[in-house]
Amino acid sequence: MSWIHKLYETYENCQSMIGKIAFEKEVPLLPICHTTNKAHVEIVIDQDGNFEKARIANKEHSRTIIPCTESSGGRTRGKAPHPLNDKLQYVAQDYSKYTGRDDSSYFAVVDEKDFKKLGKSVDKKALIEELYKQKHIDEKGVIELTFARLNDYTDMNINPKWGRKKKNIFEILKEKYSQSYVNLLSSWCVSEYMNDKVCAVLKYVQRGSVIKDLIDNKVLLLGDDCKLLEKREGKKQNKKTIDIFDLLPGRINKKGEIENWQADAFIRWEVNIPGDPCSKVWEDKNIWESWRQYYSNTKQVKTLCYVTGKKLLSSDQHPAKLRHDGDKAKLISSNDWAGFTFRGRFTDTKKHNTYQTCGVGFEVTQKAHSALRWLISRQGYRSGDQAIVAWTTSGAELPDPFADPLSILGEEDLVSDEGDNLSTAQNLAIKLKKKLAGYKADLGDTSGIVVMGLDSATQGRMAITFYRELTGSDFLRRIEQWHETCAWIHDYRSIEYKKDNKKKERKYLRFVGAPAPKDIAEAAYGSRADDKLKKATVERLLPCIIDEQQIPQDIVDSAVRRACNRVGMETWEWNKTLSIACALFKKSKEKEVYSMALDPDRKTRDYLYGRLLAIADRLEGLALYKAREKRDTNAARYMQQFADRPNKTWRQIYLSLSPYMARLGGAKDYKDIMDEVMCKFDPIEAFTSDKPLSGEFLLGYHCQRAVLR
Amino acid sequence: MEKQNRVEFKVSGKYALFTDPLTKIGGEKCSYHIPTYEALKGVLSSVYWKPTIVWIIDKVRVMNRIRTQTRSAKPVEYGGGNSLAIYTYLADVEYQIQAHFEWNLHREDMANDRNENKHYFVAKRMIDKGGRRDIFLGARECQGYVEPCRFGEEKSDYDDYGNIAFDLMFHGFDYPDELGKDELHARFWRPNMVDGKIVFIRPEECNIRKTVRKMKANPPQSVGLEEEGLLESFEESEVLK
Repeated sequence: MSWIHKLYETYENCQSMIGKIAFEKEVPLLPICHTTNKAHVEIVIDQDGNFEKARIANKEHSRTIIPCTESSGGRTRGKAPHPLNDKLQYVAQDYSKYTGRDDSSYFAVVDEKDFKKLGKSVDKKALIEELYKQKHIDEKGVIELTFARLNDYTDMNINPKWGRKKKNIFEILKEKYSQSYVNLLSSWCVSEYMNDKVCAVLKYVQRGSVIKDLIDNKVLLLGDDCKLLEKREGKKQNKKTIDIFDLLPGRINKKGEIENWQADAFIRWEVNIPGDPCSKVWEDKNIWESWRQYYSNTKQVKTLCYVTGKKLLSSDQHPAKLRHDGDKAKLISSNDWAGFTFRGRFTDTKKHNTYQTCGVGFEVTQKAHSALRWLISRQGYRSGDQAIVAWTTSGAELPDPFADPLSILGEEDLVSDEGDNLSTAQNLAIKLKKKLAGYKADLGDTSGIVVMGLDSATQGRMAITFYRELTGSDFLRRIEQWHETCAWIHDYRSIEYKKDNKKKERKYLRFVGAPAPKDIAEAAYGSRADDKLKKATVERLLPCIIDEQQIPQDIVDSAVRRACNRVGMETWEWNKTLSIACALFKKSKEKEVYSMALDPDRKTRDYLYGRLLAIADRLEGLALYKAREKRDTNAARYMQQFADRPNKTWRQIYLSLSPYMARLGGAKDYKDIMDEVMCKFDPIEAFTSDKPLSGEFLLGYHCQRAVLR
Repeated sequence: MEKQNRVEFKVSGKYALFTDPLTKIGGEKCSYHIPTYEALKGVLSSVYWKPTIVWIIDKVRVMNRIRTQTRSAKPVEYGGGNSLAIYTYLADVEYQIQAHFEWNLHREDMANDRNENKHYFVAKRMIDKGGRRDIFLGARECQGYVEPCRFGEEKSDYDDYGNIAFDLMFHGFDYPDELGKDELHARFWRPNMVDGKIVFIRPEECNIRKTVRKMKANPPQSVGLEEEGLLESFEESEVLK
């Protein structure tokens, strides 16, 4: 089970892709100790920290790579600040002046609320006065730098009255100190890994006029009460310009409505230094490196890494945000210090954690999770909480195991075939083979492919539900095998394309291949089936594709049953279900080797009955069409019954055919085919018996119908 | 040890869960694809074990194709109630195991019990019976069955498969009673599966170790056969063949 090792290897092999943002929606491969966030406001300053200008960030390019700490990278409820780029709540010193709120995280301000943990008996007001007297905090409650330099609670001077609680008080103050934006930024700037641009940002931020400058430059909007507006007043004057409210994510207020609160605006910096072409701080690789080095050096504890086997600097928390930006689930999470998820023979506690249970190196986990996030965004299949991704450690391109042939070939390949003259099913099959052969050439024989599936039962944790390592050739062979054996002729896929640069047109393409697992789940259980059921079905099909296992019989039966219930669905849905059911049945009876074209020599009862149904359906359908009547044919209406009691229902259908035959002037051709099929029933008991039909009759039906078209 | 005391048996079960420590801490347990040394030692110890001996697993042979299956679980929480989790098990497992025992030299109080024949034959009989205690593969809910067999016989799905190398995996724990020191160690290694067979390295040969914590061995006190009054009214006599 070396999934984490493989991810780490992938990261190392794909170093050249770090930081490249290909599409706006895609997460790039991040350098370690960094995360991404959408920025709303850009502030431009010069190298001395003087304000130059500000603007609203372009929505198309708002994804920013920002440095983060372990706690801020996984921040959900807490207030851990990002070191450089963050929201106004953290960055602006004048936050409380312009919002009237007191939850600023710029400074580390201590007040009575923070000492709630000590209990009701403690006189908190007196404690605050004592701390001020001892010069640990200043008159506003801001924690002083002198306190920050203390390493242990024994170094802290305090009246012996609080002697017993001294350790708790020390820890509370330390934690509060670490939650301040300016403290974090300052310690970076005074360290040996400082950077000129970052120091310029610090100087600017310390002037304390962030919000004021933004208001003066009309980026933020002020209300009449000299406080920031909570939402847009009235309608937008000019529809073409973009203002801050267009970009803000919005919070849900007590009424359940979305409120665009301006303090949620995320800032990113540009520093103009003469002679430096890269003024955008978030794109500067030197700053990434500087932060990485600084943060790695703040870690001191080394432990045995369970991935590499070496003693490395340990990581406290593991990254989140793996499947999407709002994903709070972690793959490696260790927060059950009260229960017995992993305690037992291990005696670690939250306060005294020596990594008895498990330790992973800091760099290793950051790199592995970064690679996983990138891969899922780039080439993973996602459905709700489920994410399945196949990749190779070299980062090369792979065909998606969950795609049907059209998706594998890609729209560009198909549309390039001169608009009208789009590929026939045969061409498509050849193209698919060529494309897979192309992948084979790229991958070579020995490169390893990993297929990994993730899912969540609860928010906050993720489980690895599927994991396989294969060689490249094995993987491609199995995909080819899947597309050959579970194949049928499908008509339900369409592509949109621009015809001669005019409006978009939709063309339905016929393809031969395996249906996508998502479509199989819909065919078996209906498009309105429960999400959990669809997810579970897709997961059950994964071993059929990757491991060459048999399709679970219940999925096949369910699809066949639904395909017989023609009246319960619309025509397009029924046709889709029919072709998918045929594909599934064909795969489940692989040894029989059914052909996709009509097999005139096949004498099995079910196949012949299917053919009969198709003939009757077509005959009646033609007659109704000529009479311009839009009724369902009898064959369509009785299909379900036909599947259960074929002989009895056939009699009904056949007898009702006479008026239609008359309308068509005898319909000799159809009668001939019908006679031919009837003769093939051998022995005659096969025809007279009323035993229910298996899915094979769908194959006969489909093939005969295709011929009669 | 004068004579060779190798035992061979096969263990099979519907499910197995050899938990990966990285996933265990989160509660969403995921199984390794191959059994750990410690898990197999546990199976053999459930069959037959005495404090005098230490089982050493030599080889294991994977018979069935490695298949995983996920099941949802409702683990009970310590404070009451339950949470939800997804566990990934191995399905339909069968392993052939070859092992032998050695004396536990740190248990000097068991010196009088070091009778090779006794332990060897009882172990063989217990394997025939299917074990003294119930067998489980990794986790307690994965019940297994032990039967005698000859190592190497019967076809497996991995004959002629080739070489599969695994990355760093858990090997086993070194408990204080077998280590001699008052510490708990965790060992790791990188297994290699050739045609379905994995040859385990001895615990002493594991280079990658981690000292987990201090732990004291606390075996029940025993004076062995010297217990007073144990052999009262019994006499020793020779049995003539």
